[in-house]
This record gives sequence, structure tokens and C-alpha cells, in this order.
Amino acid sequence: MTGRYVGARVMRVEDPRFLAGRGVYIDDIEPPGTLHVAFCRSDHAHARIVSVDCSRARALAGVALVVSGEDLRDLPPFSTTIATRPEAKTGTRHMLPLDRVRFVGEAVAAVVASSRALAEDAAELIDVEYAPLPAVLHGEAALEPGAPVLHEELGDNNFAHIEFEAGDVDGAFAGAAHVFRKRFHFGRTHAAPLEGRGVIADWDVAEGSVTVWTSTQMPFLVRGMLAAQFGLQDTRVRVICPAVGGGFGLKVQLFVEEAIIPELSRRLGAPVKWVEDRYEALAASGHAKEVLCELELATDADGRFLALQGHYIGDGGAYLAHPWTSLIDPLCAASFLPGMYDVQNVRYSVDTPFTNKCQSTAYRGVGWTPGQAAREALIDDAARELGIDPLELRLRNTIPDGLPYRSATGCNYDGGSFAESIRRAAGLIGYDELRVRQRELRAQGRLLGIGFSPFVEQGAWAGAVAAAQGFPGFSYLDAVSVSMEPDGTVTLTTGLQSNGQGHETTMAQVAADELGVRIEDVKVVQGDTAGTAYATGSYGSRTAVIGSGAIRRAAGDVRDKLLAIAAHLFEAAPDDLQLADGHISVLGSPDKSFTIREVATAAYWGPRPGDMDPALIATRSYDPPETYSNACIAVVVEVDAETGQVKIERIVAVEDCGTVLNPAVVEGQVIGAIAQGIGCVLYEQLPYDEDGNFLAGTLVDFLYPTAPEVPAIEVDHLETPSPVTEGGMKGMGEGGLIGGPSAIVNAISDALGVPVDRTPLRPCDVLELVNRASRAPS
Amino acid sequence: MADERVVQLRVNGRQLVALAEPRTLLSDFLRHSLGLTGTHVGCEHGACGACTVLVDGRPTLSCLMLAVQAEGAEVLTVEGLADEDGLHPIQQAFRECHGLQCGFCTPGMLLAAKALLDEVPDPSEDEIREHLAGNVCRCTGYVGIVEAVHIAAQVLQEQAQ
Repeated sequence: MTGRYVGARVMRVEDPRFLAGRGVYIDDIEPPGTLHVAFCRSDHAHARIVSVDCSRARALAGVALVVSGEDLRDLPPFSTTIATRPEAKTGTRHMLPLDRVRFVGEAVAAVVASSRALAEDAAELIDVEYAPLPAVLHGEAALEPGAPVLHEELGDNNFAHIEFEAGDVDGAFAGAAHVFRKRFHFGRTHAAPLEGRGVIADWDVAEGSVTVWTSTQMPFLVRGMLAAQFGLQDTRVRVICPAVGGGFGLKVQLFVEEAIIPELSRRLGAPVKWVEDRYEALAASGHAKEVLCELELATDADGRFLALQGHYIGDGGAYLAHPWTSLIDPLCAASFLPGMYDVQNVRYSVDTPFTNKCQSTAYRGVGWTPGQAAREALIDDAARELGIDPLELRLRNTIPDGLPYRSATGCNYDGGSFAESIRRAAGLIGYDELRVRQRELRAQGRLLGIGFSPFVEQGAWAGAVAAAQGFPGFSYLDAVSVSMEPDGTVTLTTGLQSNGQGHETTMAQVAADELGVRIEDVKVVQGDTAGTAYATGSYGSRTAVIGSGAIRRAAGDVRDKLLAIAAHLFEAAPDDLQLADGHISVLGSPDKSFTIREVATAAYWGPRPGDMDPALIATRSYDPPETYSNACIAVVVEVDAETGQVKIERIVAVEDCGTVLNPAVVEGQVIGAIAQGIGCVLYEQLPYDEDGNFLAGTLVDFLYPTAPEVPAIEVDHLETPSPVTEGGMKGMGEGGLIGGPSAIVNAISDALGVPVDRTPLRPCDVLELVNRASRAPS
Repeated sequence: MADERVVQLRVNGRQLVALAEPRTLLSDFLRHSLGLTGTHVGCEHGACGACTVLVDGRPTLSCLMLAVQAEGAEVLTVEGLADEDGLHPIQQAFRECHGLQCGFCTPGMLLAAKALLDEVPDPSEDEIREHLAGNVCRCTGYVGIVEAVHIAAQVLQEQAQ
């Protein structure tokens, strides 16, 4: 699919608003009479709550309400699982804990006051008496018999144990020439959008309805979950989502605070607002990607992969994020165990222990990031031991390009450029020359490293892909409504909520091409469940595929009506008409033409066919089949063996996401995700001490990469359109954070000549590897 | 509210007066007392740069300054960049270079860039990156931002000639 706009580097429609400071984010909204919330949060990792005394806080002038768990105990429990796996337990929690806290930062009580400052003052006056309990802070330890159990009603700490096997794994290992093993711990990280979470609720007791403003990627799912929580009809919950200051998967959960704030508004009959501070964001929103991966690879004498097996322990934190649960990391890691390699003997197991840490949530690339890092590091280790170039080893084992392929774990790839992406990346970065330069520099004592990470990523999280990734049991409904106004302009509404990706532009591109109008004639409306078509939201690289498919269908219906009306005006058959460049004309007679505006006006005011429904409006959905993008990222680093500093010299990414909607947007997604990958390998950390104290509560502890740390990342495009999706789009957006960290890890490993077994790789970690390298036999 | 002080200052060329508690941050004062919500707050501890404004021409983290300290000052926020002729050349360059995605860091980034170009009309790439090191962007990987500052420098130099 290409047109006037699809595929073009169109400047973003939404940018002037943001550039002028007129973007409206959650904290910019304040209904009249708004009261403000501050939470009192636990400073214990695991403790029994002996008592909560709110009397001093309640006595403070300006405080409207203080609630602790006891005050909310009669509410229905907060649901925390979708539990589509029979192996998974079912978990619920109280909105505020009744008798026990399970991580540092857990909300224990909430204060509502006339100002945020006053609410914070009052929160400090709440006296909580705790009786400390032993804490468990590592996933493996939490699985040990005798470990402190976080949720006694569940019996033990393991939310789900899942096993999978395909092919003859034992036979392949028994007959292998070589077996390689790796234990890789991917460190805890954080999506950390620059705008944190925020919720405002205004409960209308007279009407029995509630309006909730929240910064989310999924307004309609928030609506449905809150309606269920409060026993309201869907239509009595209106969710308004303003501009979202970054989501990256974090804002694809319903947070307990999103349920507490409406309840506070209900009790007070006034709008209530909470915008988290950075400590709350870092300590208590959602952590991600901490997975311990234990992998084994069997190969023949030539390095051909015979079998893979993996055990993934996802450190789930204290609670289950709603709805994806802590399976979102380890199960997704496992489902892509073979990645883009042709190996049909695969076995995995997954464990998801609770620990006394912040809950695990989705973050761009979810568990594919740690899974990719572990597998690709293992392949580099194998190449080193076999004496085969790591690119050559990969090329011997990739799935054939351009053909459908069913992976051992049941993913139906729709054709990709797996080998070509590796070769293209190698060519762009000058791989052969780099190896020569690496030897020259090494002779001078300088450590240059080259790392590659080729990967496949799912491109449209919906029923089919979700099932292939281990989350079966649901279909998804994602709709777009397209209506043409009397003047021929187009209004497009959808619940596929943008959180920075530029949907006001890319969706308008698709609609404009389909309807033959200019992009400035299309207005994309989102962010309000009371005025947009139902969709589950934007996450999992889905909106380019799903949104485009739904737009093409809906706009196609509108186009058919335009043609029928024009046929009436022309007294011609619709099949003899063409629609392009703002006009409908008779084929072969270009002088016989109406503007689209004229035809649209005729739909509303005539003349029009008497026997048709003239409404120029259509709402259509798209639940696509499985589709997968692929890419290869190559990184050159230089490691300073004295200081442990890693300098990234160059990054090249070759991306194939099928039909490209807007190359600027695709490149922005690739580059931005790679920058996050730099962060999670080299800078970001979320440590807890052995008592469970959280040690990264500020942005001076959790270090984002800034402009000097991110090089000028180069992006090149391959285009293998999907044969199975509407328009050939495959969807992308997460890959930079799937392949990026792995490529950096491999480059550092290559520079030092030793295996790497973890992230992050801060200077202290790199120095440890340098010491290991100096002890290793050369 | 007890103990409020009168704060007088010029913001985006307009003389304004409002009340502020002594503990009120300049960022909160701009956003909530003056209604200038284009200035964003990302961390409230001076680490992310989202709240950057120009105070008497100098890039300033408005979350690390009290409103009462801005008494008599000349403040420029993102709302003061564009004029009736349209976007400022720095804003225009950010659009052309895809230097923003979610837009949350953008106001602070624009003002940090303006402060640089006011001092150094033709900065090198390293100078741009070093100068912007106090401003976090979680979306773009900075590639479009750095390019935008380059382009804006060229446009502003041409305009100055």
C-alpha cells in the first residue's frame, strides 16, 4: 500500500501544539473545586501493620479526608489477574493494605486536602506502627522452600510455573557435538516516562457517574476495569486521557491508585487529583525486565543449532500488575526463545516469584529484551568457543528470508529479511574493516568491541499474536470511526491512544490516502471514551497495523458511499468513477468531475439517491493475524580498562517493518528505543539493599542517558510487506529496546573477550569483567 | 493562606503580580498561579530539565528556585517563544527534524537550546550535546533534537545577517 501520504516523511500534525507549550497533560487539568491527594507509603519491605493512626493528619486544617486500608475494607477487592493460563493462580488485593505491607513505597494511607503541599504535610503526620517481617528480594530465593511467603492465601511465592516442549530436545542434546550454557541476569529497569502517572476523578453522585482523567495508553480498558470495580455501567464511567508524556508500556496497567482516586472523589463529592512525584514513580509504579535466564544451546560440529532450552525466572515484585501480570516478562522471553533461528527442538520453563519489591509491569519490549540479551550473548559465547565469526554463526542458522515460517514455540512469522538485515548492518558499519581496526587498536592496548543483535519482534499485539506469545483466550476489538463532514473534511476517532508516537499524523495519512483528501483535511480525535470508537489502546507495537487496517476498512465504506452519491449526481455507474486528489471524476472523462466537498454536501443536503442511507460515517475494527517485523542492530564500543567506562562509538540499525507509514516516525521509534537500551545497559539501576530498602528514589540515582551519552544512531530500512495484514504493515516500536541492549552487551563482551552474564554494566561491573578477562587464558 | 508574599515579575514580556507562599517553587507558581502550564515538571529535584525557563536570559531550573526569588526578574517560558508570525525558528526546526515525540521535555529543551544559541550562535555537535546534558528526553534519543539545534542555529544566523 502506498499513496500520496503513506510512506512519505510527513511532518507531524500535532507538533505545533506541543512546541507552543499548548499540549495539555494530566497535571495541566484542574476542575473547579479540586482537592489534592498525597499518599503515605511504606518504608518497610515486608511488615505487619500493627496500627495506623490518622488522627493527627485529620486534625490538620485544610484536610478533607484521610483513609487507610481499614476505611476501604468493604470495597470489592482490586483484581490483579487475567489468568488466561491454567497454570496461573488468581490474585486479588485490597486497594490499600489491611494488615501487611510488601514493598517499600506501597501506599498505606491517602490524604485529601485543599492543596498538594498540605496533603503532603498531613501524610507525614500519619503514624503507622509496623512489625517487620523477613523480606525476600531475589526471585530465585523466593522460590526456595522456607522462603518468606508474601501472599499466604496463594500457598507459595510462585504465581505461575509454565512448561513447554516441542520436538526432541533430549535427543538433540544427546547427539550434539557441542553444548553451550549461559546464566544471564537482566537487571531491573524502568520505563520512566518523563511524565509520571496522574489521575483526577470527579464523581457525580446525582447522576451516578464518574469522570476519570488519567495518563494512560488504554482509556477504554481503564473504563471497563473501573466500571467493574465500582459496579457501574461502562457508560457511567467516562475516561478522558489528555496528552500522555510518554508511556512505553508502563501505562498499560490499571494501577491501584487509579481506583483509589475515584473512591476518594465519591466519598467527598468533589474532584480529587493525584499526580505522582518522582519518588512514587521510581519506587511504586512499575519495574520491568528483571529476568534470570538460564539457557542451553546444542549444536553440531559446524555450529548448526540443534536445540535450545531455557529456564526463565521473572522477578515479579510484590503484586500482580493488572491485567498482564508478572508473566509479561518471562513468558514473552520464553516464547521467543528461538528468535529468528531455525531450530525446532525447543523446551522452556517459566517461574514468576513474588518478591518484596515494586511490581513488575510491561515496558517496551517486555521480556523479549532480556530473552534476546541472553540468547544473543550465548551465541557470541558459542562463536568464541567454536572459533567461528559470530555473524557467520548466525547466518548459518537464520530462518530463510521472505518465507512464512512457524517457530518451534508456535509463532507464525509472515516472512522477513533475517539474513539480509545482518548483511546490510555489517556492510553499513564496515564490519570487515572494523575487525582489522580492532586488532590494530588492541596492539596499542585499546579495547574496541563490535556487537550484533538481529531479532524478530511481534508487530500487532491482538488475539493471534498474544496467543502465540503465551497469552491465549481473548480476541481484541479495536475500532476506528471515520466520518466525513458536510464540507468534505474528515473526523477520525479511536481509542488507540497516542502517547507520543504521532497518531494524529500517521492515522491521518492513511485516511487521507483512502479518501483522496489532503492530510490537513483529516482531524484525529482521541482521548475520551465518551466520544471515540472503542479500542483497547496503544501498546505492543500494534497501532500502525491495527489502526491502519481499521481506517482502511472504515474509510473504504465512506468512500463507497461517496461514489454512490457521485454516481447519482453523474447519472453514471459507481464502477465508472475514480476518487483522487479531492475530486471524483468519470473514468476517461476527467473534465466531468465533482469535488469531494460537493459530494459530501450532497450527502447531507441532496441531491442524493432516495434509497440509500447517506450517513458518511463508518466504524470498523481490525483484529489482525500474526505479523512480525525484524531488524538487526550493530554497535561499536570502546571500553576503558582503567575506568570501566564504555564509550559507544557508533550504532547502526536496519529495520524491516513491512510497509512504512512514515519513515520519520519509524526512525524516531527505533532511535528512541535504542537510547532506552543504552540506558538500561549502561546507566539505569533500581537496587534494593538486603533489608529491601529502595536505593534509587531520585533521578540522581536512576540515571537516564542524556545527549552526550547517546551517539548519532543511523537507521536504514528494508521493506518486506506483510502478505497477511491490511496494507502490508507489520508494526514496530519496541525493537530498539529488544535488540539494542543485547548489541551493546555483545560489543562489550567482544571488547573484553569474556562472556557477559548480566546487566546493568556500570563502570564497576565492567571493571569486574576486565579483571575476569585478565585472569582468563588468552 | 497564611504568610503569602506579593511577587512581581515580567513573564514573556508582560508585567504580572501574584501571591505566593514563601515555599512555592517558581515552577508551581508559573503553572498554577499564572496558568502557564507549558512549563513542565518532571522530577522536582533539578535532575531532568523539563522545567527549564530563562530567568534574566539564563537557563534556570524553575523547580529549584522559589517564586519569591523571581521578584523583579524577567522570565521567558515556552509560551513566549512563538509570536504572531508563527513558531520561533528553534520550534520550527524541532518540528522539521522530528525533535519531539510525547512533547513533555520539549518546552525545557527549547529554552535550553535558546540559551545556548543566544551565547554561541554556531555551536558544534559536541557543544550542543554538552549544553543539553541537563535536559532528559525519554522518547527521541536526542538525534532529532541535536539536528534541530544545528538547523535553528543556521536559520537564526541567516536572520541576523
